[in-house]
Amino acid sequence: MEGCPRSRETCPKLLDLIPQERKWYHNEEKNNSDQEKKLELRLAPPGGDEEDLSAMKKTNLDTRNNIKKEAEDKPIFNLSGNHFSPSNKTTYAPPHISHKRTAPGPVVGWPPVRSFRKNLASSSSSKLGNDQINKSGEGEKQVEPKRDGMFVKINMDSVPIGRKVDLNAYSTYEQLSFAVDKLFRGLLAAQRDASGGEGEEKPIIGLLNGKGEFTLTYEDNEGDKMLVGDVPWQMFVSSVKRLRVIKSSEISSALKFGCSKQEKMRN
Amino acid sequence: MNRAIKSRLSTSEMNYFPDEVIEHIFDFIASHRDRNSISLVNKSWHKIERYSRHQVFIGNCYAISPERLIRRFPCLRSLTLKGKPHFADFNLVPHEWGGFLHPWIDALAKGRVGLEELRLKRMVVSDESLELLSRSFVSFKSLVLVSCDGFTTDGLASVAANCRHLRELDLQENEIDDHRGQWLNCFPDTCTTLVSLNFACLKGETNLAALERLVARSPNLKSLKVNRAVPLEALTRLMSCAPQLVDLGVGCYENEPEPESFAKLMAAIKKCTLLRSLSGFSEVAPVCLTAFYPICENLTSLNLSYAAELQGNHLIEFVQFCKRVQRLWILDSIGDKGLEIVASSCKELQELRVFPSDPHDEEDNNTAVTEVGLVAISAGCPKLHSILYFCKQMTNEALITVARNCPNFIRFRLCILEPNKPDPITSQSLDEGFGAIVQACKGLRRLSVSGLLTDKVFLYIGMYAEQLEMLSIAFAGDTDKGMLYVLNGCKKLRKLEIRDSPFGNAALLADVGKYETMRSLWMSSCEVTLGGCKRLARNAPWLNVEIINENESGRMERNEEDEREKVDRLYLYRTVVGTRRDAPPCVTIL
Repeated sequence: MEGCPRSRETCPKLLDLIPQERKWYHNEEKNNSDQEKKLELRLAPPGGDEEDLSAMKKTNLDTRNNIKKEAEDKPIFNLSGNHFSPSNKTTYAPPHISHKRTAPGPVVGWPPVRSFRKNLASSSSSKLGNDQINKSGEGEKQVEPKRDGMFVKINMDSVPIGRKVDLNAYSTYEQLSFAVDKLFRGLLAAQRDASGGEGEEKPIIGLLNGKGEFTLTYEDNEGDKMLVGDVPWQMFVSSVKRLRVIKSSEISSALKFGCSKQEKMRN
Repeated sequence: MNRAIKSRLSTSEMNYFPDEVIEHIFDFIASHRDRNSISLVNKSWHKIERYSRHQVFIGNCYAISPERLIRRFPCLRSLTLKGKPHFADFNLVPHEWGGFLHPWIDALAKGRVGLEELRLKRMVVSDESLELLSRSFVSFKSLVLVSCDGFTTDGLASVAANCRHLRELDLQENEIDDHRGQWLNCFPDTCTTLVSLNFACLKGETNLAALERLVARSPNLKSLKVNRAVPLEALTRLMSCAPQLVDLGVGCYENEPEPESFAKLMAAIKKCTLLRSLSGFSEVAPVCLTAFYPICENLTSLNLSYAAELQGNHLIEFVQFCKRVQRLWILDSIGDKGLEIVASSCKELQELRVFPSDPHDEEDNNTAVTEVGLVAISAGCPKLHSILYFCKQMTNEALITVARNCPNFIRFRLCILEPNKPDPITSQSLDEGFGAIVQACKGLRRLSVSGLLTDKVFLYIGMYAEQLEMLSIAFAGDTDKGMLYVLNGCKKLRKLEIRDSPFGNAALLADVGKYETMRSLWMSSCEVTLGGCKRLARNAPWLNVEIINENESGRMERNEEDEREKVDRLYLYRTVVGTRRDAPPCVTIL
């Protein structure tokens, strides 16, 4: 292998091509003479394309110098490092560039982050329900609005003490159902224990499908009692005033009074 | 090898020592490179070294076969294996490409090797392999799997159940099929030897009761990293029975905790006075981070890079008190301002990684970091030697300043999110900036470049990066000269990975012998053609030249292919065992 001889032979062609006026460091001082010595090293590519090399390099440097001059002439360049306007400044295009390089749009495997990192941002925003707010076209793009909690009262049959639940912390009915279980499981068990029954904690399930011992209902902004789960989540959140966990057996008595919406939910 | 030892002992003198003495001396030499050197001195040393080598590192599992490994090092106790090429992390390598663990376990078991430690990276591991492993090595103590896939929690159950002396089970960023089984229950009640348990990457539910019992009976447990399914109350209980923890990875608690639970958590945390390393926080209400204030001054390692829910101000509030932190992994939501605060607070910082919170700019927010943050860190943290920095822009001036501030970089990986992006102030390429880095940082071993770059940057790299071992290139360079500068100049280069750059056959074929000094070369979406690769394979029979095709349907028919066709993905590596036989249809080995 030819290698890279560290001898101090000059390579005139290479030196000529790197114009002397270009500064290496902005506070150059001591480094410049070292620079020139090191630039003398030859890194000879194979074959005899030296001519091509110098021609190509000259073209590159000319183009680059042109752009640099443009940059100095035009004071529009914002030196605070803000968004660089693409316009015609991207004309710096070395002659042998492969067209593959300027690939617009999403590129496979770019940026080089592992897949689970790519999903972090999207999963977090969907959790907060932000995607619906940000992309609703209201104009104002909030970066990370942590909305104020939307706390509503929730009561459960046979449990004398009620709780409050923050509906903004959830984005699906399932999450709400899970939260209800967490809030009331202990209380329900304690209540049963106190009244002489089994004190064992049993999970509260089937709140949404009518199959459990309890069913989740709510009171809306018109004062009506409704079954939870009929409408899209956001619509529910915007109309709910309070929640109530009732015994599923009580629903049949409500049916006697002909509530058609509840009937739909039975199955 | 230590020059002092070399100068004091000449080979001839040492030959009069009995083998046991020589072996004893060799025991002090741990580095595998040094050991490789020793084994070349003479036959006697080769033999002694063989039998006394307990730790072996294999950077490419296809460079050697398990049988040959065992023949040479029969007393092997600790094995490190790496499989897929690095770009597999970014979905550039088909899933079934290779890197299977099973043949290794099979051979080790048959060879009755007393394996105690196994560390794998980017290998395909199956439940069968894990089961075989758990049954074959009675002294097995430590299993570390990084970026592996192919197994389920059933495999973990075998390891838990059968490895009686298990000390370490460390699963980092693997793709594991979670069968939501009871693998934690499989640790027998008699298992009390655990020192390190990390299952943060498991996606399913965790049997909390089993976990708590396990932790309670592991008095030596120093490192515990749980997954998302471990809620706050459970974490509190775990920490209460393991106040000796040094390294903790927390689960997730999305809702604001009840004040009582929070108080209990804080009390438990206060007792963990030995805690030095913190990670996890994948879905966490910001207030939960504040629970860790009592110990944050003790932290030397902090990984908040999964905490997408924490906003910049929360991150800043916490990190500014971590005055002793040496290793910090964080998201770019901390912002340039946040990095300036880190620079003024964290004077012990050695390694920094700033990951993009929004890699595809979907949210269109402006919280990514820029050159300002990097310059601040370089100015404020004198001990900084490793950096991975994802940013939206970079300037030459900034890089030159960074090079001047931090000449001690060993690893410098810069990723500007938009490919080909020039210096936004001068519209020039970033050749000068990176040139300054390689010139100033004489000990640089790993470099990743990005932004608009011409062949010139590679000229600088070839000239100055004398210690460079690994180089990653994407969307850079103009002609073959670029790649040639690197191949000719970087004497210590071991791994070169290139994507979407205009390097072709001339560069690939210029010096075939160079690849014998390197572990591997990756080129994808470049200008190399099938003809060029074939020529290379012909001239270098000790290389495996693999072509990975786009469509996985069939191998290329030799008669039909056009030699001028550009190769989509090329991966070549030196090997002493020739062509591998486990390649899938999408891979053609020339």
